[in-house]
Amino acid sequence: MTPLHGVVFVIVGLGGLGCPALLGLVAAGARRFMLVDDDHVDASNLARQVLYGIADVGKLKVERARAFVCARAHELDIVTHAHRIDVSQVSSFLTELPDRAILLDCTDDPRLKFAINDACVRSGRSVVIGGVLQFRGQAMAVAPDSACFRCIYEAPPPAELAPACGHVGVLGTVAGVLGYVMASLAVRIALHERDTSGNLLDLDLRTGATRTLHAKKRENCRACANAA
Amino acid sequence: MATVRIPTPLRKYTQGREDVVVSGQTVAELLENLESSYPGIRERICDESGAVRRFVNVFVADEDIRFLDNLNTPVGEADEVSIVPAIAGG
Repeated sequence: MTPLHGVVFVIVGLGGLGCPALLGLVAAGARRFMLVDDDHVDASNLARQVLYGIADVGKLKVERARAFVCARAHELDIVTHAHRIDVSQVSSFLTELPDRAILLDCTDDPRLKFAINDACVRSGRSVVIGGVLQFRGQAMAVAPDSACFRCIYEAPPPAELAPACGHVGVLGTVAGVLGYVMASLAVRIALHERDTSGNLLDLDLRTGATRTLHAKKRENCRACANAA
Repeated sequence: MATVRIPTPLRKYTQGREDVVVSGQTVAELLENLESSYPGIRERICDESGAVRRFVNVFVADEDIRFLDNLNTPVGEADEVSIVPAIAGG
């Protein structure tokens, strides 16, 4: 038994970030998971979605992800949800989670990231939010007493400033690094390590620049101000 | 002269350059001079009222300007100013 055994890690999105995040958590000793994604494996995913192979094309990502990690570790307890969470469904989704659940937002939907942030802040849950594009990535752990994602970014960007990886590209290695960074942050939250939350890690793997951008709780933050 | 780090979506305004050197004693001045050198870029950072857009953040030496003095935040000679939009790909 490790301190992580009693924690359920909820990974929303089993794509470029979710795949390495799941691997990182299993490697760290986590054993209980909920995997959420309605998507099927596509050949275009294989470069960065490292849990899937050619034979998995057309199959549900959550099922293939579960099969992959179950072949790597004993006694994994994995629940899969092959459906897409809409922005309007986030709050009700969180009410169904066990108390000791830590979420990882590995989606590619800016509006959903903000919705997950807001719902976690309202319900006192911890979440790790990540994003990648081309050579860059960001990751932020949000805990009940820390600044949240909306303290830094007040609103989602418009579509023209939030291009999808499929349109402008992302280097698979960048997604891999960020996924493991997210896993590390989630582990640190589970272990109650201090100073884990409330800072935005911004990485540029083309230049090697890594920055920690310090966030503070904003008084008029729409998420924090309404938190219980 | 401060170094301004340009995020990928805005590099089309800076001819692909990811770092540019710009003068300005405050963030507001710096953005104005940035616009003079690279027309069109400020509109992507600031709205019609001149405020930083809600989905972008500006950091001076890794500190969020909203917790300093916003656009009046002083910029030192050797400071690094980062324009950091949210990245949402997954």
